[in-house]
Amino acid sequence: MVKNNNTPPKLAERLLLCFLREELAEEVLGDLDEKFYGLAANGSTWQARRNYWYQVLHYLRPFAIKSISSKTRNIMLINHLKIGFRSIKSSKAFSIINISGLALGLASFLFIMLWVNDELQMDAFHSKSNQLFNVYQTVEEQSGNLTGSFETPLGNAGAILLDSAESEIPEVKMVNHYATGYELPWGFPKTFRLGEKLFKLSGSRASANFFEMFDYPIIAGSKQAAIKDISSIAISRKMALMFFDSPEEAIGKTLNYENNLDFQVQAVFEDVPQHSSLEFDYVINIENQILRKVEWASHKIITTYLLAEGANPDEVSRKLSAYLSNRVDENSGNKVSIGLQPFKDQYLVSGFDNGKPANGKMAYVKLFIAVAIFILIVACINFMNLSTARSVKKGKEVAVRKVVGSSKSLLVQQFLSEFLLMTLMAFALAVLIVFSLLPAFNQFTGKQIELPLTELWFWGSLLLLAFMTSFAAGAYPSFFLSALIPARILKGTVRFSKRSRLFQKGLVVFQFCLSIMLLISTVVFTWQTNYIRNSNLGYDKENLIYVRIEGDLNPKYDLLRKRLNSMPGIALVDRSSEAPHAMNFETADPINWEGKQEGHVVSFKPVSVGFDFTKIMDLQVVEGRAFDRNIASDSNAFMINEIALKEMGIKDPIGKWISAWEKKGHIVGVLKDFHTHSFKQKIKPLVVDVKEDLYFGEVIVRTEPGKTKEALASMEQVLGEINPDYPFSYKFLDAEYMKLYKSEETVSNLCNLFAGLAIIISCLGLLGLSMFSAQQRTKEMGIRKVLGADAGHILSKFSIQFLVLVAIAFLITVPLAWILMNDWLQGFAYRIDLSWWIFALVGLVILGITILTVSFQSFKLARINPARTLRLE
Amino acid sequence: MKETRLGEFEEVILLLVGILDDDAYAFKIAEEFESQTARSVSIGAVHSTLNRLSEKGFLNSEMGASSPERGGRRKRIYKITALGHRVLTEAKDFRVSLWNQFPGLANG
Repeated sequence: MVKNNNTPPKLAERLLLCFLREELAEEVLGDLDEKFYGLAANGSTWQARRNYWYQVLHYLRPFAIKSISSKTRNIMLINHLKIGFRSIKSSKAFSIINISGLALGLASFLFIMLWVNDELQMDAFHSKSNQLFNVYQTVEEQSGNLTGSFETPLGNAGAILLDSAESEIPEVKMVNHYATGYELPWGFPKTFRLGEKLFKLSGSRASANFFEMFDYPIIAGSKQAAIKDISSIAISRKMALMFFDSPEEAIGKTLNYENNLDFQVQAVFEDVPQHSSLEFDYVINIENQILRKVEWASHKIITTYLLAEGANPDEVSRKLSAYLSNRVDENSGNKVSIGLQPFKDQYLVSGFDNGKPANGKMAYVKLFIAVAIFILIVACINFMNLSTARSVKKGKEVAVRKVVGSSKSLLVQQFLSEFLLMTLMAFALAVLIVFSLLPAFNQFTGKQIELPLTELWFWGSLLLLAFMTSFAAGAYPSFFLSALIPARILKGTVRFSKRSRLFQKGLVVFQFCLSIMLLISTVVFTWQTNYIRNSNLGYDKENLIYVRIEGDLNPKYDLLRKRLNSMPGIALVDRSSEAPHAMNFETADPINWEGKQEGHVVSFKPVSVGFDFTKIMDLQVVEGRAFDRNIASDSNAFMINEIALKEMGIKDPIGKWISAWEKKGHIVGVLKDFHTHSFKQKIKPLVVDVKEDLYFGEVIVRTEPGKTKEALASMEQVLGEINPDYPFSYKFLDAEYMKLYKSEETVSNLCNLFAGLAIIISCLGLLGLSMFSAQQRTKEMGIRKVLGADAGHILSKFSIQFLVLVAIAFLITVPLAWILMNDWLQGFAYRIDLSWWIFALVGLVILGITILTVSFQSFKLARINPARTLRLE
Repeated sequence: MKETRLGEFEEVILLLVGILDDDAYAFKIAEEFESQTARSVSIGAVHSTLNRLSEKGFLNSEMGASSPERGGRRKRIYKITALGHRVLTEAKDFRVSLWNQFPGLANG
């Protein structure tokens, strides 16, 4: 049949009749038809139809809309709520399980979202945040390999990026560069002095316009003068108050730096907010690094551009790359291109993948958003399942209501408002939980999150979430209940249809899939973190204390060593150019060795140490011997590690010569590989030499076990004598080592917490379900008992149905989890192997929890007295 | 108490009801409004105003005849009441008095 287009659109008509007052229907429909046929007669049916819709929508006016007496509505609502309250009260155990489960889920969701929100806030507080971009370079090596770095290259290319970008690329409005240290975000602590006051503070160097580009508010002095020349310094409020009575008083005063240079305070800025990924207590002009050598240049220079409003960063980076390629004469054959990363992303995206910024903490943020949603889903499924299950009890009520004439929509309303009530209670509980546990959560995560209680968006989104949850969780049970057929229920008990039973079971399986997934991930995550933490690093990191070499520690090192060695609590003293857990310096500077092939480049980590390094670190020598103070030629000797030996491609290394940095000497020994930095990276080739004049690096002290206190006292005394201008400060190697894994540690803790919660929530669901199943099967079990079944039989008969569901969930999840976890572990250079027993363990745990949860009900069932339950039959 | 003042749109609609006389029902009034003012209006808007004018007592209405292009449905015919007439006249007088005070015209 051909559809007749010459009549007004039926749908619009129906819509109109939905809301239009009945007494108006005739005239209005008549008018609209007249309009429609009038237009249709002019030829354009389509226009007529469109106009019809237009007219219909314009009848959405107060005078024309069906009135629903607000009075009856209110009464209905109050009625709904009353009934809701009664029904919540009438089955307390059930309501407690249901509400607390949802509240737990919501509280977890809120916690995670607060954490995620906090992470995303990082560096977003700068008013020009959307125009700030960090410059990074992508190097395409001849092999086709792409590597990336945020470090501004030194030399020609760097000079162009720093100095000419502003004049050559119109979109670049301002250029700033600042130095970041390897170990701390902004460099090692430096000693400042004013009269008798001595403090160690960390800060950085930056271009003069630093405070114009970034929003670190100046509270005294001027923004322009802050670090306008090399003798100016800007200090934080905290630092100002350390030396002076007030920030204002600090302006114009002179502070001595490292017992060497004088800086005049030109500005005091507000203490750096916690959402800043740059942390510093002072800023000096970056020219210092070049002109006055304030520091050994172990700093990365980061360049940040302020682009014009609306400028396209991709276009700017294309222009920069083109500009650069015309002017940089690189013989290496590597192709360099420039990219721009939004400044506010630098905290979350800190690594590189294929030469582009990727990885970093962003992965955790995504992971946790997924976890939050998982938990919420699990909690909602719980709610849904329990509520549906409870319809066994509700069935009669529904039937009676229907018989006395309640409409289906009224029933749905009733149930939805009951669920809304429960959800709101759960929400109130969740907010209460979050509110009271927030301090603990903050301590746990090392953050300072506050509940945005005064923000409208917070309450708005909370309310929205509440409605969504109650709808998601309540829709199915409501419609399910309202669709029950009264005649059947009144005849017997509620019987779920096969389909709805399957649906319910499916939900349980799905819920457990999510929980098992979380549990497996957590176990693997924790395992990996522990592996990293406790693995043999190749050296003994316990009982090691180190002190930065500064002031007179280098020239008076021999005295220091002798004095310390004679003090109580100290076992051994040595020094190293880099802290043993963070040997980050790497060089591709050509290092030559005997038998080296032409063009063979190995990138080494160079470390200069004292004679006792091998002994103090407890390193193993696999070939040759360690350095020896008594062999004169050893001041020119080298040691390498096993990886270096492999990459250099030589055999019998002992006695072969190496030359590096104007120094030529023989290899005296090969060290067994040890971890020189974070476990996430592979061990790199290492070349170790002895340096008698080490003006940077660390003095390392091994204390006698259990005598840390004495050792510290000794060190304070000796260092105070030898290096009086510098306050005594020290670090424990094992503690510093742990800091490398701070974010993993936090994530692992959070994972444990939330996986545990997900399991608890799932189990609450299981508990509720088994309660209802037990109620439903009381008679069946009674009959079984009468016929001679023993308690054990009933127990197993009852429990098995739940175990099967959990087992199915387990079987579905394991392969998925295996793939996902394997994928995740690939990101670590050193990792645990996924073995079947990890999964078996999780399976056993889940099985145990399930049995524990269900058996509670089974025992009750098994113990029932059939005489009582069957009485009424 | 019901509002008894006359808005601009209301005044026009009231006048159109008078002009159309026996043919004054929502659809026709809307058409007439569009053709006289060259402004578009929805039937719903006109209907709403007619309803308001009735509530103020300026209009009466009763169901009229049906016709085939309306699907056989009847229409509601509006008529101006005596009060409506008085309000219209007052509005006109008020305007005229204003125009008379308008310098460019009063002395011209």
